[in-house]
Amino acid sequence: MTAQNTGRRRFLGGLLAAGVFPKPTWADVGAPAFLSAAAKPDGSSVLCGVGANLQVLFELPLPARGHAAAAHPTRPEAVAFARRPGTFAVVIDCTTGTQRATLCAPHGRHFYGHGAFSSDGSLLFTTENDYEAGQGRIGVWDTLQGYKRIDEWASGGVGPHDVKRLPNSETLVVANGGIETHPDSGRTKLNIATMAPNLAYIAGGAVVERVQLAAELHRNSIRHLAVGVGGQVAFGMQWQGSGPLKTLVGVHLQGAEVQLLEAPTQALRAMQGYVGSIAFTPDAKAIAVTSPRGGVVQLYDAKMQGQLETFAMPDVCGIAAVGETLTVSSGNGEMRHLLGSTRLLRRLTELRWDNHLVPVA
Amino acid sequence: MRYFAYVLALLVTPLSAQADSHNALIEGIVEAHILPGFEALATQSQALSKAAEESCDPASDTLRQAYGRAFDAWVSVSHLRFGPTEVNDRAFALAFWPDSRGVTPRALAGLLSEQDPIASSVTDYAQVSIAARGFYALEFLLYDDRLMTAGEAGYHCTLVQTISADIALTSKHILEGWQSGYAVTMLTPSPDGVYQTDKEVLQTLFKSLATGLEFTADTRLGRPLGSFDRPRPTRAEARRSGRSSRHVMLSLEALSSLAAHLAEGDKALSGKLEAAFERAQSQLADLNDPVFAGVSNPQSRLKIEIVQQGIAAIRTIVRDEMGPALGVAAGFNALDGD
Repeated sequence: MTAQNTGRRRFLGGLLAAGVFPKPTWADVGAPAFLSAAAKPDGSSVLCGVGANLQVLFELPLPARGHAAAAHPTRPEAVAFARRPGTFAVVIDCTTGTQRATLCAPHGRHFYGHGAFSSDGSLLFTTENDYEAGQGRIGVWDTLQGYKRIDEWASGGVGPHDVKRLPNSETLVVANGGIETHPDSGRTKLNIATMAPNLAYIAGGAVVERVQLAAELHRNSIRHLAVGVGGQVAFGMQWQGSGPLKTLVGVHLQGAEVQLLEAPTQALRAMQGYVGSIAFTPDAKAIAVTSPRGGVVQLYDAKMQGQLETFAMPDVCGIAAVGETLTVSSGNGEMRHLLGSTRLLRRLTELRWDNHLVPVA
Repeated sequence: MRYFAYVLALLVTPLSAQADSHNALIEGIVEAHILPGFEALATQSQALSKAAEESCDPASDTLRQAYGRAFDAWVSVSHLRFGPTEVNDRAFALAFWPDSRGVTPRALAGLLSEQDPIASSVTDYAQVSIAARGFYALEFLLYDDRLMTAGEAGYHCTLVQTISADIALTSKHILEGWQSGYAVTMLTPSPDGVYQTDKEVLQTLFKSLATGLEFTADTRLGRPLGSFDRPRPTRAEARRSGRSSRHVMLSLEALSSLAAHLAEGDKALSGKLEAAFERAQSQLADLNDPVFAGVSNPQSRLKIEIVQQGIAAIRTIVRDEMGPALGVAAGFNALDGD
């Protein structure tokens, strides 16, 4: 028996004694600050709940490599998604460590690894590939009927990756990365020459706004999103072209013009054309992006005042704002606070933290 | 003092020796692998253009042979996707494949039915959709049952000649790009250069080996294999000209040569790679199935899957052994690409 399990058992015992079982909330599971998929040393995959102090609170097995997860807005329930082109997503009860439901992508679809809940948590939305048509879809699942699939919408583009819900709204924002893939040919990109990424807003099942960048940026795949309290959408890109790169980060407010954030050549170069994750800082004044390829975290002023700071951390990818700090994670097993009074806090585990840290509401 | 200098020399030598050996490695690859490959492409493409001028008849043996030699030359450098091939989308202009949405035949049919005058000038032709340019477009005009006879004969002839001339021009530009600067760019990294260090150059070369293997396994073999329940023989690369298996062989030969260069000086690794390449190549040769028609039959399908697994084995050696040996191994997340 691992220390983890003992911890959980003791913890569950505590819950029983406290008699809080009827309607558990996130605070009951030892209040994880975020979730992250990881690979264990033996190669198996897990989903972990991690506290703000970077302590791993629970570790639940996944059938294969995960990517991101979505935390239910109220219940201690999370959905962990398979890495593309996976077809499973697992609904996990974080109080008991059991699987509540399994979502299987319908025939002809696979997940991209991201999802978002409606504000009341009754619906789950997933980014999916309709790979015969080469078109992105948003799968709609009813959480009150045991995560039954009830609908499907067009994502407004090809290769939808991240999806987020705007604050105080049911509108979804989708990063249509623009890259067509087909599971028969693995992760090979089929349309680099003609790719056309966009940012799409979806309300009531319909695309209500679509934002495309200038033609010369058509190979900048819009991949990851962070939303600010005022509805600002920050997006991180992955450059599929060659030659000089202008930008990897942009900000957009629905109905307004898109703003691309600039950085000095050397700073951009350090990112190696690749943003792995993106987050607003807790004060929303800056946008942080990670690049595992470059082994750096960079902060940009959210009001277009340029690139502010660069932190080095090998294989860094996951990032999330929690409390007054930014937490980052790496494939080498490290988690670290980047800002504020706890910025020296770091913890090294034997887990390889996968791409994303998902904050729990 | 003298002792100190000696210790210092000991400390410093291995590093600079490694730097020198990396630079020599890069020089060897540029001189013996890259430049000859693009020279062959330029020469054979020029010969193709000349053959098309002499006879634009799709059934002409001379034209088809010239086409085959030029296409061979392309496939042998198709993994070198950096620098001059990426300027102005030259590589895509030579090779728009896979064409998952069938844009190439549609674009060609449009040009043929409208007799679009853009085909009368090589320089203008660079403006058409890249799906209508390059070797894969030309294959439709030379080998596709419908498109080889479609449209008005004179216009069809012009289109064959213009696409051939466009291929020759693009190939010439790539070679010039290498000769006039990019070879030097790779050999002399500098803080302001495209490459800052030898290691960055090695990383690019390593990546082209890894990506080339991935493309051949997942795309050249993966697309026709489809799934067991739904094999896709009509998705085989250049099947109309019967070149699908040949492309896998040519790419394995080229990648094997690049791998041998990159593993130079490491006998154990070189031997392992050589054996793995030979195994995959002989398994492929034994198939005797030029267009992977066997994907639809469970028994022959298995043999094609074995070739794919053979390439996967090479990829594993490259990733787990060559990467760390060259000091360019990528991390868990850095490799992910999501």
